[in-house]
Amino acid sequence: MSTAAVPRLSIRGLTKTFGGARALDRADLTVLPGEVHGLLGTNGSGKSTLIKVLSGYHAPHEGTLQIDGRDVALPMPLGRSEAHGLAFVHQNLGLLPEATVLENLIAGDHERLNAWRINWRREADRARALFAEQHLDLAPGQIVRDLSPVQQAQLAIVRAADRVREHRHHGTPGLLVLDEPTPFLPQEDVRALFAMMRRLTGSGVAIIFVSHDIDEVMEVTDRSTVLRDGKVVGTFDTATTERPALVEAIVGRAVRVARRAEPLPAADSVVQVTGLSGQIVRDIALSVQPGEILGLTGLIGSGYDEVTTLLAGARSAASGRLTLAGRSLPVPGITPARAMSERIALIPADRQRAGIAPDLTLTENAMLPMLGGALVLNHGRLRAATRDIMRRFAVKAESPDQAASELSGGNQQKLVLGKWLQRKPLLLLLDEPTQGIDIGARQEIYDRLTELCAAGGAVICATSEFEQLEIIAHRVLVFDRGRIKAELKGDDVTKSAIAEACYQAQVSHAAE
Amino acid sequence: MRPSSLTYQLERFGLVIVWIGFIALFGALRPDTFLTWSNFSTIFGSEAVLVIVTLGLIIPLTAGDFDLSIAQVLTLVSMSVAIMDARMDLPMAVVLPAALAIGAAVGLINGAITLYFRVHSLIVTLGVGTFLHGITLWIGNSQTISGVSMVLMEWVIIQRIFGIPIAFYYAILLAVLIWYMLSFTAFGQQLLFTGRGREVGRLTGVSVGRVRMTAFVLSGLLGAIAGILYTGTTGSANPSSGTYLLLPAFAAAFLGATCIKPGRFNPWGSVIAVYFLVTGINGLSVLGFRTFVQDLFYGGALVLAVMVSQLVSGRKERAL
Repeated sequence: MSTAAVPRLSIRGLTKTFGGARALDRADLTVLPGEVHGLLGTNGSGKSTLIKVLSGYHAPHEGTLQIDGRDVALPMPLGRSEAHGLAFVHQNLGLLPEATVLENLIAGDHERLNAWRINWRREADRARALFAEQHLDLAPGQIVRDLSPVQQAQLAIVRAADRVREHRHHGTPGLLVLDEPTPFLPQEDVRALFAMMRRLTGSGVAIIFVSHDIDEVMEVTDRSTVLRDGKVVGTFDTATTERPALVEAIVGRAVRVARRAEPLPAADSVVQVTGLSGQIVRDIALSVQPGEILGLTGLIGSGYDEVTTLLAGARSAASGRLTLAGRSLPVPGITPARAMSERIALIPADRQRAGIAPDLTLTENAMLPMLGGALVLNHGRLRAATRDIMRRFAVKAESPDQAASELSGGNQQKLVLGKWLQRKPLLLLLDEPTQGIDIGARQEIYDRLTELCAAGGAVICATSEFEQLEIIAHRVLVFDRGRIKAELKGDDVTKSAIAEACYQAQVSHAAE
Repeated sequence: MRPSSLTYQLERFGLVIVWIGFIALFGALRPDTFLTWSNFSTIFGSEAVLVIVTLGLIIPLTAGDFDLSIAQVLTLVSMSVAIMDARMDLPMAVVLPAALAIGAAVGLINGAITLYFRVHSLIVTLGVGTFLHGITLWIGNSQTISGVSMVLMEWVIIQRIFGIPIAFYYAILLAVLIWYMLSFTAFGQQLLFTGRGREVGRLTGVSVGRVRMTAFVLSGLLGAIAGILYTGTTGSANPSSGTYLLLPAFAAAFLGATCIKPGRFNPWGSVIAVYFLVTGINGLSVLGFRTFVQDLFYGGALVLAVMVSQLVSGRKERAL
């Protein structure tokens, strides 16, 4: 090392491929002691792959890792990262809600604890000292479930810091990786977390702060590294970097994709939603005209993905009215069965749990919504109808009697689409419809959606993939903290404009 | 896996083949005692009760729930029938509907507690079953009650068709009905999705709670039918009768799920599994092994069955 400060962490040439696609492409990252280092990028930019390589979840194909100037062999064995001074706080925090603060704090601290005898009093005193030092309002005996969200986040962070602070093998402070800890926290609580992060870095700990939120990154980081399509775009000094430069680094130069959404003639809307509120969204109003694909998007935690689940009755809404083809009904009264009888269909995001039953056959999966209360099932006819769906939706499978688990993700999703489109829905709701699906199957799904629209169907598509919206959406609503903050139409529906609007939404919020 | 492939057919009929192998083995060793029609017709008739208990189990199992109380429903109903018939002299037209009502009521209680309080059915039915056993001991004064009217015995065990007691045909009739329900009605598909893809089912309009409740009531009813037949078979009610049927029924249900329609609880697999297990035990006792072989055989079969089904599903996962 030529410079004065030996980096806490240094990654060189990290490459990871998944079935030919490069999730990480010769990525470099240098984190200095005592700095907060932002890691930025859109979905699929390689952020999480990089984090998962560090935690040992993924084995990279190429690349080297140095910690405090020492070479560390990759792949990192799972569970060994703490011994190297790396600790992770993921978005779900990894706390056991039923257990006490103290139990959570010491859980998994095998290195320090005597496995045969835990001195609970001494551990409680130690915890109290730790909380006092970090100015945290936590008591060892509290049950974690009773803590506020920010207290839970603080506990998770203080636990991670405790594990690596002494960095027991090497006597240097460690490195914390905070993976999106803030999206569900109110603004003032985010500040409290930032103060805590600053206290930690003051004692020499380095922090990698993974976030979608540019404002938070501008506020708390010293430097940031931006990833795009698996490559490092650059590392920026936060103090001397302007916001638009960072946005452009994240989104990239506008590369137009082939847009499929043709301009629509003016028409009366077929779907109207007013006053819709759920767990995150508040007082949403929107409408869709026949033949239109309405895209809903936003950053994580913004609530864009809640609207579809509420309208399909998958979760119950707090309030709201839906008018569909002239019929008006309260959204809180919608059950999945009611949604079906109103000709609403939902393609859920969690395909393996909510989209298909992997153990059951293609016929069973595809025909369930067509059975009603039948007392005499004609298996020949059901199989023939499934074959018909397989043919029309290009589901590649040997037989309709196969288990759905034997199909690829793309073919499963085409089957789910066929299952619902055979009911000729008036309103089709999509939640992340192309998650984990290869390019070919994506195109086929877009084809089917285009056909549906040509026939006058109305589609609402919630997705975090901006490019997908540029391709298929006629109009896009951008959500921020439960509300619609921007609307993009026609030629304005571009990947970069959507990204711009997502990040812009937060500026207006910060200004509030 | 292609459904027509040889390995798949072997898997479907593997248990039948092993069963035939058992019969051949015991027949060769003891041709004059084991391989007689009277031995087989006795097995077919007397184990009809176990077949029906197993059929009752597979309905909630298909929906993803356990019913450990079914054997005690059998005991309670058996005892109630004996008391109503032998002690109170009530006509069968009253006794039989009352018996079925007991079974259905227990099913409703199991379902209500499981669904309303969101407790795992394993725990609920374990407790309810033990509670029912307590009631049985109480009303029967912990004694075997005999003197059941001949009418019942006549229509359960004495009447024979092709030499086999009529109880066997009741069991087969119920197997046909359950097979039809599981395979040819929308409700059968709803049961399947409730067990194997509950969220998919829920989002496709299946009212999962109602399906699970119905499954509990049906298993209660089948437990009650088994109880009536038990009293009819032995002419008496014994307060510990059901205790020895629960494990064999579970063993048969899981063993049955490895054949005919591998990977699914299915009535024909269950019927075959019951007679496979009983043949094994009968053969071993004919060879002179003592009663401990029952526990070895049933317990071993249950563990083996779940091991086999894990192996089968594991192989499918690896094949992906």
